[in-house]
Amino acid sequence: MMRHLLIAIAALLVAGSARAQQADTTDRPFVRGGVYDKPFQHRLAGRAVFGGYAEVHWRHERADGLLVDGGFEAKRFNLFANARVSDFVRFAAELEFEEGGREVSLEFAAMDLRLHPALSLRGGIILSPLGRFNLAHDSPLTEFTDRPLVSTEIIGVALSEPAIGAFGRVRTGGASRLTWELYATNGFSDGVVTASEAGTRIPAGRGNFKDNNGSPALVGRVAWSPRLGTEFGLSAHRGQWNTHASEGVAFDARRSLTIAVLDVEAEWRGVLLQGEAATAAIAVPDGLHGIYATRQAGGYVEVVREFARGLVRTMPQSSFAAKARFDAIDLNRHVRGDAVVRFTAGLTFRPTRDSAIKFDLVRGRDRDQFNNPTERAAVLVSLTTYF
Amino acid sequence: MRLPLRHLAPALAILAGTMAACAELATEPPADGEVFDAPFAELSAGELRVFLTGDAEFSRRFAPATGLGPIFNNASCFSCHSADGRGRVENSLVRLGTPDNDFLPHLGGPQIQDRAIAGAIAEMVPDGVPLSRRLPPPVFGVGLIEAIPDASILANADPDDANGDGISGRPNWVSVRDYVPGGVPGAARTALGRFGRKAQTATLLEQVVEAYHQDMGITSVFRPAENVNVRAPFSDDQAIDPEIPVATVQAVVHYVRALAPPAPGADTPTRRTGAALFASVGCAACHTPAFTTGPSSIAALAGRRVEAYSDFLLHDMGDALADQRPDGQASGREWRTPPLWGLRLMRRFLDGDAFLMHDGRARTVEAAILLHGGEGERARAAFAALDPASRRTLLDFVESR
Ligand code: HEC
Ligand code: HEC
Repeated sequence: MMRHLLIAIAALLVAGSARAQQADTTDRPFVRGGVYDKPFQHRLAGRAVFGGYAEVHWRHERADGLLVDGGFEAKRFNLFANARVSDFVRFAAELEFEEGGREVSLEFAAMDLRLHPALSLRGGIILSPLGRFNLAHDSPLTEFTDRPLVSTEIIGVALSEPAIGAFGRVRTGGASRLTWELYATNGFSDGVVTASEAGTRIPAGRGNFKDNNGSPALVGRVAWSPRLGTEFGLSAHRGQWNTHASEGVAFDARRSLTIAVLDVEAEWRGVLLQGEAATAAIAVPDGLHGIYATRQAGGYVEVVREFARGLVRTMPQSSFAAKARFDAIDLNRHVRGDAVVRFTAGLTFRPTRDSAIKFDLVRGRDRDQFNNPTERAAVLVSLTTYF
Repeated sequence: MRLPLRHLAPALAILAGTMAACAELATEPPADGEVFDAPFAELSAGELRVFLTGDAEFSRRFAPATGLGPIFNNASCFSCHSADGRGRVENSLVRLGTPDNDFLPHLGGPQIQDRAIAGAIAEMVPDGVPLSRRLPPPVFGVGLIEAIPDASILANADPDDANGDGISGRPNWVSVRDYVPGGVPGAARTALGRFGRKAQTATLLEQVVEAYHQDMGITSVFRPAENVNVRAPFSDDQAIDPEIPVATVQAVVHYVRALAPPAPGADTPTRRTGAALFASVGCAACHTPAFTTGPSSIAALAGRRVEAYSDFLLHDMGDALADQRPDGQASGREWRTPPLWGLRLMRRFLDGDAFLMHDGRARTVEAAILLHGGEGERARAAFAALDPASRRTLLDFVESR
């Protein structure tokens, strides 16, 4: 692992700034900021291009008047590589180092076989098309330091799974288009219910690299975009999460997990609006009913307004952005509490589009399963850049 | 540098927003004495450190992967004892037994575990046997209850009602489990029961160890074998026993021991009248206003005044409240007088609701009083006979504890 990293870094240094031309020749990216839409990728001698991003946080979080989390975090260091293997085949990969390298994961490593604009095959470790945020969440791309709660607590971003499937795009007149993706994967694992001490937690069932039940899960998304910058997406996951049999003997019922996500991206008079809403239904063993959630839901909506572009004379491409986000999640629809709301507002400064210094003020309220509130607040500062 | 207005406006708006947010960003700690989960103010640094460990363990929710089950009632101490106070009826548990003191282990007694992890089968309530539903009581102040000398509690006992006030008050002498230090190996030990709805538990160590074992299915060196459903095929959970170290049990014992009761409400003239009524009506005959503690393993708890409003003795409370399930020397009609401290804040930590009496059947303090029967009948009648204003004064006093 370490050797690969060193090679990758050495490669980046040698590469200099020879900027690779985008492999994708179509008018606009399949998912803005998603795979194959990364800036600053560098071409080496051969056909592979490299790039990546890094992110560091400073946090000061308080709950009911007490400091609960503070300090610096080497949050992420990600490396991208992609290669145009032939006119029909492309391969892309993203390697993620989290928490100072303590967690290393291959977030994406998949090949695409392009048959027609409306149909490409994709296989490998993919980012599941479950909400737009899961497909495009690079820190330099997003405006806020923390990811939306619905993404981290319910969908489980970054949700990458071994999968085989297809995607494509269809023109729907004028500048509008429809994109679709559909994959078969292993789905989630027993961890959904067994792993987390917080109760039912879908993200705890990620990483099902060895199928636990022999029945594939399906995940797909369709998105309609009338023009660049505006998109409405609908996506869903459905599959069995539990191990129900061993050596041909079924010892448990098959239990399914369904997640549906609606995502929106729109621009209006220079204000960028993004949001996502998700709902999940989890079939939980009878013996855990009452204290393990069978229904969860959540969403976020954020608005961003860029201003003062070029105001800093020495940085003509620089800009500021004012931003606000509202997050709400309900981790158990059947009890009054077990929910979180959060409001974040702040400022982002970008020396160029590819780097950001983010300043966020967060205020929120958690409720335990008795509906007892805990007041939360945080000041977050983060630095992030593509490279 | 040119600063056009269209740039300045959003910047100023953000600046103003930030300034306004700053005060909000500190968040307010709850006032002293207004919570159930605060330690005594005088704890030493070392005691506080263990308290914090115990605090985290008390709210730790176990998962099947970390030892929950195979059968259990709930996943953490906190899930039953809301914010360290009492629980809701949904979080209560059911005890099982016959009128002749048989806890029916072959039917799943002494306690029904109504939940199970995948692969195990939860216990079913058997037909035709007496059941006793127990609402989780508050856990604060138990260190003070533990530190009251036996002699002080026994001084109020009047098992044969020698004073003829219709109130007996009996201690529950219970046997102490072998794992509690201080005994002679093999020799049976009895001690004065203080904890639980029938004062059926004498030590906090047993209360905590059995809560882990029975309520959550968590094994410790004190109880190394899993509690299983004897009426179903053997099943185990995914964790290696013992599932928690001795240090965790000790930290949680220390934690509950060091939890201070909340402060009573303001002392007003009406409340002083209410206190007098509380005594004259006969409530104080069981709800003893105060004790003084003896020595304690925590220095701050020794020699302290305990305004719990309980005699920690058993009383026959009449047919309506009887569960017909004796426990130790407590009969199927007797209950321990519950402390009345914290009633002032009860609703705050139950989402606005109130649950009173051993099974949470009363939803207001007044309803709880009107349910008193048996030895409590005279006090109930005296309360009911008060004029409405005096009744309100008495209720205000009780609800300000
Ligand atoms: C399933 C719900 C439940 C769980 C989980 C639970 N308790 Fe309890 N607790 C109760 C009930 C009910 C009682 C009263 C039992 C009785 O009277 O039979 C009680 C009694 C107590 C008492 C005695 C209080 C008094 O004044 O008599 C203490 C102390 C206590 N619990 C601590 C704990 C600790 C520590 C844990 C976690 C290790 C825990 N409990 C977990 C329900 C629960
Ligand atoms: C004979 C002794 C006795 C007398 C006298 C008595 N009580 Fe009680 N009280 C008890 C017992 C025992 C319980 C618990 C019964 C149960 O759990 O079912 C109780 C329960 C309560 C409760 C509910 C507490 C809780 O946390 O659930 C309140 C409130 C209360 N008493 C107030 C009063 C008042 C006010 C009076 C005077 C009018 C009074 N009691 C007189 C013994 C007594």
